[in-house]
Amino acid sequence: MDDDARLMLRYRDGDVTAFCALYARYKGPLYRYLLRHVRNAGAAADLFQEVWSRLVAMRARYEPRAKFATFLFHVAHNCAIDFFRRDPNLRGVTATHGLEPSEFGTALREPEVPEYQRPDKVAEFLEQQSALLAAVAALPQEQREAFLLREETGLTVEEIARVTDVPVETAKSRLRYAIRKLKKSLSPMQEPDALPLRTYA
Amino acid sequence: MPDDHPSDELDEYLRGASALSHQYLREPAPMPPQALDRSVLAAASLPDSRTTLKSPRLAPLAFAASVFLSVALVLAIVFGPAVKRADDKPRVMQVRAYKTDPPRAAAASPRERNPAAWLEEISALRRAGRDREAENEMRRFRSAYPQYIIPVSE
Repeated sequence: MDDDARLMLRYRDGDVTAFCALYARYKGPLYRYLLRHVRNAGAAADLFQEVWSRLVAMRARYEPRAKFATFLFHVAHNCAIDFFRRDPNLRGVTATHGLEPSEFGTALREPEVPEYQRPDKVAEFLEQQSALLAAVAALPQEQREAFLLREETGLTVEEIARVTDVPVETAKSRLRYAIRKLKKSLSPMQEPDALPLRTYA
Repeated sequence: MPDDHPSDELDEYLRGASALSHQYLREPAPMPPQALDRSVLAAASLPDSRTTLKSPRLAPLAFAASVFLSVALVLAIVFGPAVKRADDKPRVMQVRAYKTDPPRAAAASPRERNPAAWLEEISALRRAGRDREAENEMRRFRSAYPQYIIPVSE
């Protein structure tokens, strides 16, 4: 059982400080996963809140069957799926097909929640769309999700498969296609040999 | 989806040796607004009666309550007030006897007829699609046995 699962068990038994520790650890990766997956700041904020709300609501039934990150991001995956079903226009790459990377920002839907519809918030979101993030945003939904799960959480391919409810080979294939497309869209890149290994928290 | 890419590309990426990962790491890392932090943490601190009831500490009590209710239900079925029957034959046997050709109403006077058997005859009439006769018989039955508790299936 990992440390995060122990924290979740403590929270299940009433220790709110354990939840605060979990929240501090995962709020960044979860928020970025949602933001870059749904590509909409307002929707990401809503989903972020929904994920934690579901976690709070299901704490009494929590059993550490898998890594906590897998559990948390499986909840997030389900929330995102529900979101895409509610608004298929935001679902995939079709909305940005045929656009240059520099145009992806303008293709993104504006936030829907009033608080995040303020022009400064929209501008702040669009400013974050570097060439890499724009290329990530242009990936098909499933490939984008696999890449973001890997990058934000360091989950293994097997864990990504579990989070997204697909066979391992499917998850592997999605990830492979994602990195292939991202590499093609980004050049020149550093030589891998010159880089240290990346580690995850 | 066909998988025609060289495996070392993915392996290199999964080892964390890919330039892609390092480039992603250098991207801005937005965090949730503080208002969201406050909202989530406040919700996590609130006692929730619904989830409190599902606390594992209450599980033995919930189990005991469900066992008690189950036993009480079984006892009520076995020893509780039952519908009067003239014989102990299984009802299903009586049904089989009338399956092909349900009999017409018996000639005996209403008070002399066995109420359980009478109800079976009415059921057989209904199953045979003779609803009008069944209704007539039921009216006779009710006038003959006004106090008789008719099972729901009748």
